[in-house]
Amino acid sequence: MASVPLSAYLIMSAILFTIGATGVLIRRNPLIIFMSIELMLNAVNLSFVALSHFLDSADGQMFVFIVLTVAAAEVVVGLALIVSIFRSRRNIDVDEMNILRG
Amino acid sequence: MANLSLWVLLFPLLGFIILGLSGRFIQRSAVLAVACGACGLAFLCAVINFFSMLGTPVSGRVSDQVVFNWLTSGTGNGPSLTIGFGQYLDPLSMTMLLVVTGVGLLIHIYSAGYMEEDPGFWRFFAYLNFFIFAMVLLVSADNFLFLLVGWALVGLASFLLIGFWYQRRSAVAAARKAFVINVIGDFGLMLAIFLIFVNFQSLNFSDVLKNPISINTGTITAICLLLFVACAAKSAQLPLYMWLPDAMEGPTPVSALIHAATMVTAGVYLVARTHVLFDLAPVALNIVAAIGGATALFAASIALFQLDIKRVLAYSTISQLGYMFMAEGVQGYSAGIFHLVTHAFFKALLFLGAGAVIHALDGEQDMRKMGGLWSRMRITAWTFLIATLAISGIPPLAGFWSKDDILGTLLAQATKTGNPGLYVLWGIGLLTAGLTAFYMFRLFFAIFSGRYRAQPIAVEQEDEDEEAVAGHHHAGGVYYYYIREVPPVMSIPLIILAALSVIGGFLGSLSLIGLAKWAPLPNFLNAVSFQGAPILEASTAIMWMSTGLSVLVALLGFAVAWVLYRKGFSYKENRSPLYRLILNKYYVDEALSFVLIKPIQGLGRVVGNSFLEGGVLDGGSRGIARLFRGVSKGIRKVQTGYTRNYALGILLGVVLIVVYYAVRG
Amino acid sequence: MTPEWLSFIVLAVASTATAIGVIAFKNAVHSALSLILTLLFLALFYLQLQAMFIAVVQILIYAGAIMVLFLFVVTMLAPEQDEQEQHDRIAWQKAVGSLLGLVLVGALSYLLFNGASSTNLPKASAAESLSNVVKHQGNVEAFGQALFHGYLFPFEVTSLLIVIAILGALVFGRRA
Repeated sequence: MASVPLSAYLIMSAILFTIGATGVLIRRNPLIIFMSIELMLNAVNLSFVALSHFLDSADGQMFVFIVLTVAAAEVVVGLALIVSIFRSRRNIDVDEMNILRG
Repeated sequence: MANLSLWVLLFPLLGFIILGLSGRFIQRSAVLAVACGACGLAFLCAVINFFSMLGTPVSGRVSDQVVFNWLTSGTGNGPSLTIGFGQYLDPLSMTMLLVVTGVGLLIHIYSAGYMEEDPGFWRFFAYLNFFIFAMVLLVSADNFLFLLVGWALVGLASFLLIGFWYQRRSAVAAARKAFVINVIGDFGLMLAIFLIFVNFQSLNFSDVLKNPISINTGTITAICLLLFVACAAKSAQLPLYMWLPDAMEGPTPVSALIHAATMVTAGVYLVARTHVLFDLAPVALNIVAAIGGATALFAASIALFQLDIKRVLAYSTISQLGYMFMAEGVQGYSAGIFHLVTHAFFKALLFLGAGAVIHALDGEQDMRKMGGLWSRMRITAWTFLIATLAISGIPPLAGFWSKDDILGTLLAQATKTGNPGLYVLWGIGLLTAGLTAFYMFRLFFAIFSGRYRAQPIAVEQEDEDEEAVAGHHHAGGVYYYYIREVPPVMSIPLIILAALSVIGGFLGSLSLIGLAKWAPLPNFLNAVSFQGAPILEASTAIMWMSTGLSVLVALLGFAVAWVLYRKGFSYKENRSPLYRLILNKYYVDEALSFVLIKPIQGLGRVVGNSFLEGGVLDGGSRGIARLFRGVSKGIRKVQTGYTRNYALGILLGVVLIVVYYAVRG
Repeated sequence: MTPEWLSFIVLAVASTATAIGVIAFKNAVHSALSLILTLLFLALFYLQLQAMFIAVVQILIYAGAIMVLFLFVVTMLAPEQDEQEQHDRIAWQKAVGSLLGLVLVGALSYLLFNGASSTNLPKASAAESLSNVVKHQGNVEAFGQALFHGYLFPFEVTSLLIVIAILGALVFGRRA
């Protein structure tokens, strides 16, 4: 058989992405939701790197670099938010924050 | 010959416009100046026209002056139509103009006194001017279309004036009734105009009413019958008379002007104007005469027992109009017009006199509460007496000559054609003359002779403002020594009309007493306006017999009234069912209300209120609101407040897009 | 079965398992550790794809820094969470979410399988191609050249982004 085709990597990336998306929907703990989001970002990173390899161009890796940096910044701010919410409510269940409704 | 009839039309219109726009803000004297000035100028122009017409030879006495061409349609092929607004001046319309503007002017002057304390003073005079304008339009129009316009406008003026004291329910109901019945007549007139147009291809009098006419008799009869429907509605003949007694809710000058002298005579005018058509349809003529006769007798019978003085006069008007139609039904057109003129004089006088009495008694109209006014109100009493004598047909006053003219024409026609129906009509006319004399003198004695029968009770002062607004209203009776003669502004028109009632008879033919050459009015009319109508001359013996019998019957009526009521009118409650029937006007109104009016009103309520307004309009708009509310209530449920649900929504969108691309391929 | 395929399958199974572990563990610390393993396996993927520098950077930064941050917060908040396992008010969401996930993965797989065939990929020209640069100068140099020649502006902007993130963390992190 030939070497692993691009579609395999991309499908792998899709699977990881879906797992992350499902995690966002299912869990109520905001930290775990955040981790699922990180999972989604990493799935996309995988597809970028795969494409960089198969297109023989460094652009994909550049993207990964930037995504990595942005993910780091986002985690910093997001965790700070969660901590401050916890400080005021002593509770970080996302379902408890449902006042804005019709 | 000068044709100033445009000015006769425009002056009252200008008066109406000025008073309508600014009457509220100007002083009473200014209102009077505008109103009486407009009517006076109109009368002046009519008089100038009249004298000019007298100066023209007979052949030139018709003037059809077109003011403007309103619409011209139709090309070379097929019938074309030109309708213009023009004024038709001939002896017939000249007579009508003089009567309308002359009597109108007198009533304008009278109203200055009668309506003195009314807060709607300016409105009254505006409406009066409007009425004069509409009536002049009616009698001077030169085609059927503008005749219809004048006809309808006169009906409108009548509605406005009957309901003048609009705060009163009874007045408003009466005005509505008058208007509805009038509209029936308008409908008949419109159908007649349609038929005329279809058959004659023109609506101008000069095209339609010229001899010879080659349309078949059936169509002509239909046209005439439809025209007569309009006349019956406007002139209160059977079966469309019910509005006139109720119209007495309006102020008395209105009753005098509109419902005695001018508007109700529009029907008589119409038959006279279109006599060319009627001459060709003997069936229609017979119907006209028959209904005229039946109405005369019917109304006279009701007037015998009425207790409200204005109602007696209203039924008397209906009865006298029946006389005019009887005359026209046997082609005695000039006799009918002659009676119209004299009737205008003495009926207006009667109404104005009754108005004076009502004014002096502060709103009392029931004859049971009057009496003994002869010594307190001399001028009114004397003029009223003259009018009563005139209407009863006592020689040599006006009513005698005109009524006798009609009866003589009837008998002449009867003897000439030998038609038994005409003998019956003549008999009815005779009988009605007797009844007329009786109930008119009953009225006279009830008001003026005997002892004053009212029992005045004290009334608080605070009701006065309310009563002033709602017109003359019963103030609980006036003490005898407060009753005073009316001021000159009201009594001078009475005197003038009394004088006219005395000498007005001499406008007619004096052939009875041998002066066959002296017949100013008939000659004036017959030569020009009634050219095609047969001249009805009977032998002198028959004429004397008819005259003698009519005078005898009138004196008989007077004698019965004298015997019964000389010492005053003492009302005894009469239980007999025939009396009750006639007192309640044969229950005609009640029957109509039960059979026709209440079902239609009920139907209207069901369809209008419940179905249209409740179901469709209210229900529709509420339904739309409910729909929106329901939809939004449903859609609101999407906003749960849970972030996870919103994330689900986002993912759902993404999935849909991806699936779409996957499926598309 | 070539070694390439073998390693791919092993790594695929492993990373999928740990990914599912991230979303499935009740304990947040277990979830975090599971995520670290997933990141590790992804780094191995990158190695397989000849992206050495990225692989190392991933381990250093993602697994080394970001996940440590996560663990700090998780351990700080952990004791309070366990007591508050309340009844799930929108229980239907689990089922719908899973279903939607299945549909998503199916559709994406189908798309990617059909759309990405290696034969007609627009490869970069010989001079710029990555493999060429790597061959001549080495992996890190290739990455550095691409970064500072083509992507200098984004690089500077990310430094600004980091500053803003620090400020944001400071603001949010203050007591009251």
